[in-house]
Amino acid sequence: MTLTPAELTSAVSGGIGTSPQRPDGNLKVRGEFAYASDLWHEDMIWGATLRSPHPYARITSVDITEALKVPGVYAVLTADDVPGRNLYGLEHKDQPVLAVDVVRYQGEPIALVGADHPETALRAMKKIVVTYEVLEPVVDMETAVDDTPLHPGGNLVRHVPIRRGSQDVTAEVVVTGRYEVGMQDQAFLGPESGLAVPASDGSVDLYIATQWLHVDRDQIAAALGLPQEQVRLTLSGVGGAFGGREDLSMQVHACLLALHTGKPVKMVYNREESFYGHVHRHPAVLYYEHGADHTGKLVYVRTRMYLDGGAYASSTPAVVANAATLGVGPYEVDNVTVDAYGVYTNNPPCGAMRGFGAVQAGFAYESQMDKLAEALGMSPVDVRVRNAMTEGSVMPTGQVVDSAAPVAQLLKLVQDKPLPAGTSSDIRELPGGVSNTTHGEGVVRRVGYAVGIKNICFSEGYDDYSTARVRVSMVNGSLSAAVHTAACEVGQGLVTIMQQIVRTELGIERVTVLPMDTTIGNGGSTSASRQTYVTGGAVKAACALVRDKLAGRTDIGDEVIDETTEWRHRATEAIDPVTGQGNAHVQYGFAAHRAVVDVDVDLGLVRVVALDCAQDVGKALNPQAVVGQIQGGSAQGLGLAVMEEIQTSGGKVRNPSFTDYLIPTVLDMPPMSIDVLELADPHAPYGIRGVGEPPTISSTPAIVAAIRAATGLALTRVPVRPEHLTGT
Amino acid sequence: MHAFDYAAASTVRGALDLAGPGSAFLAGGTTLVDLMKLDVLTPDRVIDVNALPLKGIRLHDGALRIGALERMSDVAAHPVVRSVHPVISKALLLSASGQVRNMASIGGNLMQRTRCDYFRDVTSACNKRRPGSGCPALTGVNRNHAVLGTSDSCVATHASDVAVAFVALDAQVVLRSKDGDRVAPLEEFYRLPGSTPDRENVLGPGELIAEVVVPVLPWARHSTYLKIRDRQSYEFALTSVAAAVDVKRGVVQDVRLAAGGVAAKPWRLRAVEEALKGGVAIERTFAEAAESAVDGARPLAHNAFKTALLKRTIVRALLDAAGAR
Repeated sequence: MTLTPAELTSAVSGGIGTSPQRPDGNLKVRGEFAYASDLWHEDMIWGATLRSPHPYARITSVDITEALKVPGVYAVLTADDVPGRNLYGLEHKDQPVLAVDVVRYQGEPIALVGADHPETALRAMKKIVVTYEVLEPVVDMETAVDDTPLHPGGNLVRHVPIRRGSQDVTAEVVVTGRYEVGMQDQAFLGPESGLAVPASDGSVDLYIATQWLHVDRDQIAAALGLPQEQVRLTLSGVGGAFGGREDLSMQVHACLLALHTGKPVKMVYNREESFYGHVHRHPAVLYYEHGADHTGKLVYVRTRMYLDGGAYASSTPAVVANAATLGVGPYEVDNVTVDAYGVYTNNPPCGAMRGFGAVQAGFAYESQMDKLAEALGMSPVDVRVRNAMTEGSVMPTGQVVDSAAPVAQLLKLVQDKPLPAGTSSDIRELPGGVSNTTHGEGVVRRVGYAVGIKNICFSEGYDDYSTARVRVSMVNGSLSAAVHTAACEVGQGLVTIMQQIVRTELGIERVTVLPMDTTIGNGGSTSASRQTYVTGGAVKAACALVRDKLAGRTDIGDEVIDETTEWRHRATEAIDPVTGQGNAHVQYGFAAHRAVVDVDVDLGLVRVVALDCAQDVGKALNPQAVVGQIQGGSAQGLGLAVMEEIQTSGGKVRNPSFTDYLIPTVLDMPPMSIDVLELADPHAPYGIRGVGEPPTISSTPAIVAAIRAATGLALTRVPVRPEHLTGT
Repeated sequence: MHAFDYAAASTVRGALDLAGPGSAFLAGGTTLVDLMKLDVLTPDRVIDVNALPLKGIRLHDGALRIGALERMSDVAAHPVVRSVHPVISKALLLSASGQVRNMASIGGNLMQRTRCDYFRDVTSACNKRRPGSGCPALTGVNRNHAVLGTSDSCVATHASDVAVAFVALDAQVVLRSKDGDRVAPLEEFYRLPGSTPDRENVLGPGELIAEVVVPVLPWARHSTYLKIRDRQSYEFALTSVAAAVDVKRGVVQDVRLAAGGVAAKPWRLRAVEEALKGGVAIERTFAEAAESAVDGARPLAHNAFKTALLKRTIVRALLDAAGAR
């Protein structure tokens, strides 16, 4: 007799729907978790990277002679030492492993040093003489396309147009706006790091903190000129990712040095270098026009948006597509005109970050919805509910939303939550907090709402799948399972989710998660809120195969049941390059926020008093992890709203440290009341809906809406800073 | 990091003997080591002074005396400091992080360097770091920079919080060298940048800060420190004000005021003090007096907001110190 999963669940604890303790939690809190920066090999040497100080320059010479003479130096490498293809990239292969003739952003790698000590490597690095012809950088995303071409094909990375319905319809009420989003950093705490260990046969093992082992491997192998099987990757402890580890950083560099010297090579960026070592969130300029009838029903939305991809394409094409296809938000609009442009400049390269294009559009369209509400004399919630998408609504791409889209319900949930008590007498809860700036004088409290939409999983026809292996054997007289994937645990809790799924599917409590590596098939990227969906689906599918062979037995003697399978979500389509029409996305996720904000209008200080959220997650496999994702995403949105920005001047980063790039502390983040809806998506394993990104989208505009209400200011740019509020 | 020799001294005399051109004294290291890692500071010799007998917090001869090697955390928590000059304790507690406060010494705090990014970026010009090379902050990102006491050579802000409190309270520093001790008012210890922003203070070669001496001002137990910053903790001041006010029968008898985050050095607000004396201790008086705080201000492209913000910060600090709120 084979038990169904439901029957099995009752037999073991720690299955889906519960919140078993994650194995890394206590270790991380105690400072004992082994991150990639803790990697060690007895005879390893250290790698260092020489980077361009200029955002745009021609390299006229590189002289490594003196650097090679430094005692303790094993190798100094330049582009000439890249044996394979000296270009890589997630979507366009446009980024050199080491610069050739030209550098296109500040911090671009030019040469590598391998030495017996990190300090030796740095000293040798300073002896490399690079001469530059400094060029005028391209820094304005709105004019970049007509500026000096930085790449052979010019500065347009991708233009995504969407044309739906009438392009010239008029409306009774029209609101327009220009919005800006500053460059946000993922601000993960664990810097880029890894250890490359050469083997005697010319192959290499890389232990690495990354988001996608297989695509790293493919790019590394191409650069090294090695067959893929000669490059083996194992995931090391990842100290946060948020999209910033989708692109390569030191992966190829460490492998080059290891193969060149025959020594294990460790590379660890320091904090400043980390700011140059990963892509950031695209800054954006967005022009919007919303037309509505007198009842508040949207007649049309027209938008033109620019996203600054910086020096290399990274994932700009997909970011632009998201911004475009999600560009009207979670609303029904019959007539849509979108032109979204991703461009090259000499600013820092930008790519994936939590929310991925939807964040930039979300700030703008939600600001517009508030403006529309004001023009109509409606409440911000009512105008949103009036236009709220539901299941069966049609996206600007023509795609029908074919599972739950509880937009109005989410808004009403946050609207109906009790409001916090009046302005506090505890200064820690006031603007300025312990900085002792107010005891309530100058403080105005207001409320803001926002709702957002995010596509879950990879889009536009990408063959998105994951591979899972589940092995069952007897250990100490009882069944034990091991699960193996190449899907990266980056702190989101995938290890625990996989254990929960195996427990539920097989009724086996003891589940070991094997190291994530490339000895198994592709697990896909830990991004787009997709791992629980896709790798979870693969683990579930592998369990089904195991369950058939197990056939209800609780003792299988010496037998080992070992099943590996690939699992795909349903296919998507490319969008039409002229009209933007097509079933581009797998699934949509929605979240709504209500922000309650105290603003000291004299001093320009903001205290977010409450940031309550409602989100549909389809099915909460691990309720505690779901709440953690919503809190974290909301905090990241708060950061973008009021403090986080990489400041650039002439293409150079002016605040590459965590002293100068500010992220919210626990004092800046209020406690949250969170409603989790579980409206199952019939297309997804267990009905789940990706959780990680949606809360990042609505958090920012909800907070800014509340600040606008408190100050009466337009506030068209995030982050909002004190000087934007003091009227000075 | 530039190669350097390390030497530890156990006596002041020993430390001074070790000092010479290209040497630097190491106390908590929270500024020195940070800037050495960036190659902003490249001493040939680092002299560890942590074992020197420059400690102790005590009331003596009408003054609060704080040894230069006392840690920020210890000074902030000291009962005498908290009761006699709470503004010192408050300014310290709003500085940096707990970890930094546990390491950093009071003497080192007074010697800390500006957070100006161009100063910290060795690939950039900076008159403070490389005299004559220019000041990119004048036309670059200058939101955090100074509006008072600046020059065409340098617009960097002095970063210390507690120095603002000290300057408000007429603190002096005892400077020790082989020639003996000399005493300087802290306000005059710091130099304005002028055309030589690399020379930040009057300390001679091989001279150490030994002690900070703060005259006891009985009414300064009503003193406060108010700090405007971009987040609730772990951040430098956009503007800050140290204030002590003596109010009797609703009238300002005497007042001490200094500002941080806005000037090339901790900025005593004497004109505001004068305007306040004899005034009725109400918000309107404070606001009118605060107008003169920004006389001579030279706002830049991104920091003009600091002039109005400073005036409002002064009003709030006075309201707080006067117990009027």
